[in-house]
Amino acid sequence: MALSFKHIAPFLHKENNKASRLLSYFGLGIGVLLLLCAVQLYININVLLKNKSPKKEGYDFIAVTKDITDDNIAGDHTFSAEDLAGLKQQPFIDGMAPLIGNKFMIDANGGKMLPFSTDFFTEAIDNSFLDTLPPSFQWKPGDAVIPIIVSSDYFEIYNTLFAPSRDLPQFSESTISSVFIQLDCYGNGFKDSYKGQVVALSDRINTVLVPEDFLEWANKKYGNVSVFNPSRVYIKTKDANNPDLLQYLGQHHFHVNKDKTKFGRVKQVLQAIVSGLAGFGVLVIVLAMVLFSFYLQLMIAKSRENLQLMLMLGYAPQWLSKTVIKNWIPVYVTIVAVAVAVTAALQWSFKEMVMKGKDELSSMIDWSVFAIAALLLVISVWINYRLVKKLLYRL
Amino acid sequence: MLCCRLLFLLMRIQLQQVVPTYIEAEKIERSQLWNNTVVFEPGRKIQIVAPSGSGKTSLIHFLYGLRKDYNGKIIFDNASIADFTADNVAVYRQNNISIVFQDLRLFAEQTVLQNLEVKRQLNPYHNNSKISDMAGQLGIGNKLEKPCKTCSYGEQQRVAIIRALQQPFQFLLLDEPFSHLDETNRKKAMALIEEEAAARNASIILADLKPIEYFNPDQTLYL
Repeated sequence: MALSFKHIAPFLHKENNKASRLLSYFGLGIGVLLLLCAVQLYININVLLKNKSPKKEGYDFIAVTKDITDDNIAGDHTFSAEDLAGLKQQPFIDGMAPLIGNKFMIDANGGKMLPFSTDFFTEAIDNSFLDTLPPSFQWKPGDAVIPIIVSSDYFEIYNTLFAPSRDLPQFSESTISSVFIQLDCYGNGFKDSYKGQVVALSDRINTVLVPEDFLEWANKKYGNVSVFNPSRVYIKTKDANNPDLLQYLGQHHFHVNKDKTKFGRVKQVLQAIVSGLAGFGVLVIVLAMVLFSFYLQLMIAKSRENLQLMLMLGYAPQWLSKTVIKNWIPVYVTIVAVAVAVTAALQWSFKEMVMKGKDELSSMIDWSVFAIAALLLVISVWINYRLVKKLLYRL
Repeated sequence: MLCCRLLFLLMRIQLQQVVPTYIEAEKIERSQLWNNTVVFEPGRKIQIVAPSGSGKTSLIHFLYGLRKDYNGKIIFDNASIADFTADNVAVYRQNNISIVFQDLRLFAEQTVLQNLEVKRQLNPYHNNSKISDMAGQLGIGNKLEKPCKTCSYGEQQRVAIIRALQQPFQFLLLDEPFSHLDETNRKKAMALIEEEAAARNASIILADLKPIEYFNPDQTLYL
């Protein structure tokens, strides 16, 4: 029969300080449970708050402006080159493009078909940021027609508010492209007329877009400016609700559409709560481990003479350390297994009773919870093994 | 044959100019062991005789790897015992060397049987029935279930002797092993020890205050 713990057990004062041993088991169980629940909750939050914003090609596109408040109302609200470089460098931002505005005057009128006249504005952005890009959306000097992409929201406002109030005709998405608007551009001693044609509608970008080539050319000609700071920037990100993104934007007083990121803010708060819970769990585990280490130290101190004599008779300290710790492995495995089982039961109850119908949420616990449980088990056994080994080699 | 010879050479203990760090110079000069080269080979009976205070117990502890407060070297299996790691020392004590301490070093709270089993199970040379046989042979068969602390010193000395015989060894160190035994029990114990050593082709290294009449050593060394 191989030598095992039961042969050496009579020589160890194992039953001393039973209360602290049992308390450490209880503490370890509670700590592991808290930590595993926190991990599972974190995963649940991410699953439930994923895809809460409309994504295109897997990305969110968000317009960013600078906060305008009562205190800074008179200041500069444009993005400096430094601001733009900072945005570009962030790992959670996958692309960034400034919106260039017109720096000259534009008058628009609809002619006989649309009898209205108004001051007009246009903006331009890198084509890669457009959700709809018809082949006709391009311009070169000499072209009389300027292709325009209008925000779907603007188009809706025109059709539902503006047109009925002014007795103007309404348009469908296909008929709008047949309408030409006269655009008079002037400034810097020049005045020219162009024909504006709506070639597409954009769900993504809330503005009136013209080709970048036109606006750069026209800003130089009519506005006599070629480089200026944009006041609006579009960013491309995989997750508009990423708490890091929101934190970065908040720190730099950049303003975004709250609706696009509201789940991110909820997520931020929930993640903070869950992190607190996990931190508390870790603290309880550490305290339980300390308590158990006191028990082990006391057991070894009380069994000191016997252990010294066993070493003298030929027991190897390495073997003794391993054998003593192996004795507690079943206890540790049971504690962690119970914590995993309770976490699994809570997850099942949460899914089936509170989140019924949310198919994206699994009623099973995530594999990472098992992985963390296994890791905790290994760490606990390893720490205690090291402690016992150290104490025995000192004898 | 050559292999056996090599193994034989390896499994010997060689003392190379060993001198305890604390011993007086005049004792070193008189000694046949201190500051000399001495070889202990398996299968021999060696008697070390010395009065109190001349370092008998120190020598036994040095050979057993229990103390390192000496100059010179004690070589076993081509390695200095003083350089053994704690785990190497354990292997050495499990397989190659056994001991009867002068102060016995038993587990006082445990029974005689537990004291014997804790050694036997470490590296069993005999099965557990042999313990009863040996205990019966030395007259402590009825003490096996008694706590050691309730046994007389003479009985405890016999427990220590039986404990030392539960493992394989090439060297058996005996430090005044019969100091509390009457003549009958001394002879019985000596006979048992010689029988067990012969079965293992092991050396007996017996240290005592004076030569023991019923021990016929191959070599007697005076410390």
